[in-house]
Amino acid sequence: MESKQVVTTINHTSSPDYYQNGATEQVVTKKDLNKMVWRSLLLQASFNYERMQAAGWLYSILPGLKKIHKNKHDLSESMKSHMEFFNTHPFLVNIIMGIVLAMEEKKQNRNTIRAIRVAMMGPLGGIGDALFWLTLLPICVGIGASLGQDGNPMGAVIFLLIFNAVHFALRFGLMHYGYKAGTNAISSLKENTKKVAHAASIVGLTVVGALIAAFVRLESSLVIHAGKAKIALQKDLLDKVMPNLLPLAYTLLMYYLLKKGFSPVKLIIITVIIGIIGKIPFPFGTIL
Amino acid sequence: MDNHILLQALLVAIWAGIAGIDLFNGLFHIHRPIVTGVIIGLIFGDLKTGVMTGAAIELVWAGMVPLAGAQPPNVVIGGIIGTSFAILTGQEPKVAIGIAVPFAVAVQACITLMFTAFSPVMHKADQYAQEANTKGIERINYLGILTLFVFYFVIAFLPIYFGADAAKGVVETLPKWLISGLGVAGGMMAAIGFAMLLKIMLKKQYVAFMIVGFILVTYMNMPVIAVALIGIAIALYDYFKANSGDGSVRGVAKRGI
Repeated sequence: MESKQVVTTINHTSSPDYYQNGATEQVVTKKDLNKMVWRSLLLQASFNYERMQAAGWLYSILPGLKKIHKNKHDLSESMKSHMEFFNTHPFLVNIIMGIVLAMEEKKQNRNTIRAIRVAMMGPLGGIGDALFWLTLLPICVGIGASLGQDGNPMGAVIFLLIFNAVHFALRFGLMHYGYKAGTNAISSLKENTKKVAHAASIVGLTVVGALIAAFVRLESSLVIHAGKAKIALQKDLLDKVMPNLLPLAYTLLMYYLLKKGFSPVKLIIITVIIGIIGKIPFPFGTIL
Repeated sequence: MDNHILLQALLVAIWAGIAGIDLFNGLFHIHRPIVTGVIIGLIFGDLKTGVMTGAAIELVWAGMVPLAGAQPPNVVIGGIIGTSFAILTGQEPKVAIGIAVPFAVAVQACITLMFTAFSPVMHKADQYAQEANTKGIERINYLGILTLFVFYFVIAFLPIYFGADAAKGVVETLPKWLISGLGVAGGMMAAIGFAMLLKIMLKKQYVAFMIVGFILVTYMNMPVIAVALIGIAIALYDYFKANSGDGSVRGVAKRGI
């Protein structure tokens, strides 16, 4: 209890990653949390390949952020950091929302919030795929379709009822659970924020490394004819060096160009041009 | 007769718009063929054929789910076009599936294109975030929803109103390399998002962990959840090692309050 009060008086303004207004006050109500669950239905409204769900994610938590950050500078900093790449399972997103809102409310360091968000999004994506697409959906479809094959329209109704009962129970449950867990965990961990940020960065970067291998798709379909020998560039050469070599190389190239000051829009245009050139049927075959 | 099909095509198109939104947003799963079959059956006045065709198409798509971001043939258009043609042409469900799948593949290619085209919009969103303009962020998301509705509306309306052959012709006139090239670019696009994260998060002392994550997926085909658990294991070890205070620890202890 003591530490909690001491912490609120720390002068955070010295670090650029802390919010200017460090006062922590509980402003997010249960009603707000429920409202944000409904908003999170639009998580993928502005889905795109560059940031994936980022703008939808920001849209979902926006009412909470507005209430927490009355200082315009802080709200802007918070919104900017939540516009970064984000992608997770659309049903399990609510637990990340709960935890992140609790952290924002406690005016945590933005690096820590970012690291937690990134560390959670990948694994939850995997869990959600297994839980919903490979378990719940097939079960519900099986029940519904067996009725439907006989021409019984009740199959559709039963399908929707079962599926959505589980779907929404989880959404609301996870949102409130995440918020509570986040609030409790933070007050006990607060003195150690730097160490928590360090630990979260370790998990975050491990996950990003994994995501690069799992998500970025780039393969060459070029076959080199050397006399009678045929060498498939991807299978016989690149994969022998290292599978996923091209996705990693391309990501690092993008990273390098960003650091050189290239704007992301420029990188998108470059990427589209490479993709199209790669598929033009040249006399020697296509490159990609 | 002409007016009748126009009204039906419009109703189907509206349903396609709603179901298309539900595929990514809301996720009430009213977009599944088993539900679409009922609606299309009602629109064309043949509930029984609608339900049976919907169920048959549902089973085809049951295994085609979006795993790790890879998009299967479009289930919304597959269900709608398949069921509509089954009722309109009087074919059995199996033939309807044969018509539905090529359409669904073509539509998925268009969705890829749309996800690519929406990438530059994110930079407008960045600007709104900078200005703390919450209304702007909301508008961008509503624009996305509207785009989805219009897209599905048009894609469903045209083949129902003009017939399947006319629509197929349009798809075939686009050069194949252009469509597949955009698909390739879509696959590469995530690299930009990860690069932006790395620009913020990557410090020298964390490079090792990124390598570990990459290798675990590349060589051992580990699921991301397993990799995250390994990351957590390393982080926990590091955290408590630093906490136990048995010397040789980085200087976080000296953080005065």
